Amino acid sequence: MELEKVLQHHFGYTSFRPGQKEVIEQIVKGKDVIALLPTGMGKSLCYQLPGYIFNKPVLIISPLLSLMQDQVDQIKQLKEKRVVALNSFLNATQKKVTIQHLHQYRFIFISPEMLLQPQVQQKLNSMELSLIVVDEAHCISQWGFDFRPDYLRIGEVMDKANRPPILALSATATQKVLGDIESYLKMNEPFTFIHTVDRPNIHMGRVLFQNREEKLDWILEHVLETAGPGIIYTQSRSKTESISERLLQMGISTAAYHGGKDTLDRQFIQQQFIDGSLEWIVATNAFGMGVHKQNVRQIIHESIPSNVANYMQEIGRAGRDGKDALAILLFADGDDEFAKFVGIDDFPNEVHVDLYLEYRRRNESPSTMIQNGEISETAYRVLDYWMHQIHPNEVKHQLLTMKTDKIRAVEEVVNLIRTKSCMREKLVHYFGQNLMEKPSDCCECCGLDYHNIIQKRESFEQDETAVSWKKRLETILLGFS
Amino acid sequence: MIFEQILLQIFHNFNQERTISAPFHLLKGKRSGQTIQDVGIYHLHKFFSILPKLSRPHYDEKLNSLIEEHYLIVHDEGSYELTDSAREFVKDGEKYYFNGWYYRGNEHIFFARLSLIVQSLSHHGAGRMSFTPIQKDDHIQHWVRQFLLINQYKEGNLQKTLLDEIVGSLESSKVEERAKSIVINRLAGFQTAGLTWQQISYQENLSEMDVQLIYISTLHSWITQISNHPEQYLLLNQLAKDIRVVIPLSGSAHQTAELFRKGYLIEEISHIRRLKVSTIEDHIVEIAMNDPDFSIEQFISKEDIKKVMTAVDDYNTRKLKILHEVVPHLSYFQIRLVLARGE
Ligand SMILES: Nc1ncnc2c1ncn2[C@@H]1O[C@H](COP(=O)(O)OP(=O)(O)OP(=O)(O)O)[C@@H](O)[C@H]1O
Ligand SMILES: [Mg+2]
Ligand SMILES: [Zn+2]
Repeated sequence: MELEKVLQHHFGYTSFRPGQKEVIEQIVKGKDVIALLPTGMGKSLCYQLPGYIFNKPVLIISPLLSLMQDQVDQIKQLKEKRVVALNSFLNATQKKVTIQHLHQYRFIFISPEMLLQPQVQQKLNSMELSLIVVDEAHCISQWGFDFRPDYLRIGEVMDKANRPPILALSATATQKVLGDIESYLKMNEPFTFIHTVDRPNIHMGRVLFQNREEKLDWILEHVLETAGPGIIYTQSRSKTESISERLLQMGISTAAYHGGKDTLDRQFIQQQFIDGSLEWIVATNAFGMGVHKQNVRQIIHESIPSNVANYMQEIGRAGRDGKDALAILLFADGDDEFAKFVGIDDFPNEVHVDLYLEYRRRNESPSTMIQNGEISETAYRVLDYWMHQIHPNEVKHQLLTMKTDKIRAVEEVVNLIRTKSCMREKLVHYFGQNLMEKPSDCCECCGLDYHNIIQKRESFEQDETAVSWKKRLETILLGFS
Repeated sequence: MIFEQILLQIFHNFNQERTISAPFHLLKGKRSGQTIQDVGIYHLHKFFSILPKLSRPHYDEKLNSLIEEHYLIVHDEGSYELTDSAREFVKDGEKYYFNGWYYRGNEHIFFARLSLIVQSLSHHGAGRMSFTPIQKDDHIQHWVRQFLLINQYKEGNLQKTLLDEIVGSLESSKVEERAKSIVINRLAGFQTAGLTWQQISYQENLSEMDVQLIYISTLHSWITQISNHPEQYLLLNQLAKDIRVVIPLSGSAHQTAELFRKGYLIEEISHIRRLKVSTIEDHIVEIAMNDPDFSIEQFISKEDIKKVMTAVDDYNTRKLKILHEVVPHLSYFQIRLVLARGE
């Protein structure tokens, strides 16, 4: 079979991107595959295309609801009707009907929680699949960063004798995570494709400050003088609001973006960013996945990311068109302490373990802890998972180890920032690879002149005259016919 | 500003007889007996359930600023009183129409339908057959698909007809121009993104909360306008279908309401249903309590309503027996009707 023909026919692309063909060939042969491709390289195609080769459904396990929606939308755009998302958004009847007809779909997206439900299990056991995909597979590692207990349990359902091949996809994974993926998913001598994590067109800057308050002034000045489009990452929702407010006041078209925004707002922001009417987005790490904008020129980190992999993901949103882009990390003394605090703040501890046991002893459901305000929901999920896996004393130990890991992850970021050699080299090493070649203006340490990379901002007069509502409506409804 | 005004108005209506939390439950639309009864007794239909997503911290924050600005005095035991400046301030906010009791958040369904229809028609006009729908809800998507098919979108006239209906009905709605802009700015189409709450708030120099309140208020007046002219706005009336909540009357009161609507008198209904006249009167009081549009002036004159209200104020009581002694020419039924309306 000629894969290029299928590519052309169903997707309208003339050639594969690096890695895609290699991965698909192995899947077609029936082998398990781990594919590490940088953000935006086209990981989705690695399972979309096989969907048109096999005659049985492809099952895609996807960790984030919003991401799942994007992927479903993306496939529907290809005029594919046989695609469905099985997640907690469905009500009881919708769920039942969907499960009943599950075998008729070409692509089935499913959340880890759903996957573990008995009705779903039963249905899946009664039908044949052509491929099981685990997207964002780094989530599976217990040492991974976005710990999701349900993700760990995927392994429990991968145990069948005559299961189809498994494809694990991720943009970033260290050697350790790679090993975890393989063992947790019980993969069988997987073919592993690792693309180099280095992005030579992204130049890595860094600015040090005495105290945190100075950052805002720096940002305001920098944004006023240099051209976007760009993204400013910060750690809290309220900060996205306050920084964007300041930029707006200076006449820079900006929007705040975080998980608390309503769905319409989020789509409006993405659309405006892509069509060029927004210069800057000030966001928490909720922004990024599923946003395909080719010409992002700048990424600024106002707060340090909680680990190196997140940093990689976030700067990876820049320069997808292959042209130069600049990523600048702002760091002040005390930032690391703050990042550690935020990282472990919402994490269960020994006291919670004892409390959990206390509830059990009283024959009460430990989940009452959440209602009683004794623990957050996320923290409870982590705790509950481990209490079912190992002995309570071991849980205490386990939690402590995980906490230490989170702290170490922050320290790794700090090492990257504080390095006197090459930031790029350090970053690439972190993922167990070697840097072959340094681009000019490589990083702050090797020597980097921001003006070589980014342009001066042309202050374009914004059209202040707001159109009347009647005119606006008329344009939307009749303006394009 | 608007939010604060609404809060004070609710406090005002509660007449210091409820706790400091009662307005919060009312705005969120808590389905508890107490809250529902309060709606009738204190005539708060307008505001019931207009902010289902309001958070407690946000509410408390606003409450504190009202205290700081000397609109509200809270005493140690938890009782409160409004200051004179608050009474002035409240009047300003009264221009915003709300009908939370009827719409209960369903106005968002109306808008979701509208926004997906507009987005679809815009793309269809531009010759784009596939796009990412901005409304993700399956029910909405299904509903809109049916709507487009039934109204034969392929013929290409739907855009124009819909435009005329929207412009016509919004123009005859009694809301400010900027309120209409707010609603239209939340629509999107081919190569046209909508505006975020933050952007609108910046543009109008209002808080995001106030922008959203104006938006909800505008939808309420607009949908009411549409529903009142079913033959004039044929398309929009399809969108407004099932958006009003059927008044949640007890089963028996509901039957009485039906007969009353058909024009039967109380005695006739009593005869038809083989129920005592006093029972039917109970039903009528329940209807008056639940339906703000139900006119009680068919049972009691404007002057007499005033007399009852004055008596309530003068003697600071809502006890029927005392009120009846003050206005002996009115029946208990009439007095109860006035109390049911709280005005
Ligand atoms: N062979 C190809 N030729 C041209 N474009 C492609 C090809 N493969 C994928 N694309 C496009 O690249 C974009 C990014 O693809 P995709 O969403 O799969 O990225 P990803 O690797 O999953 O990124 P992320 O890490 O953000 O999830 C999509 O718009 C897709 O259509
Ligand atoms: Mg992806
Ligand atoms: Zn370097």
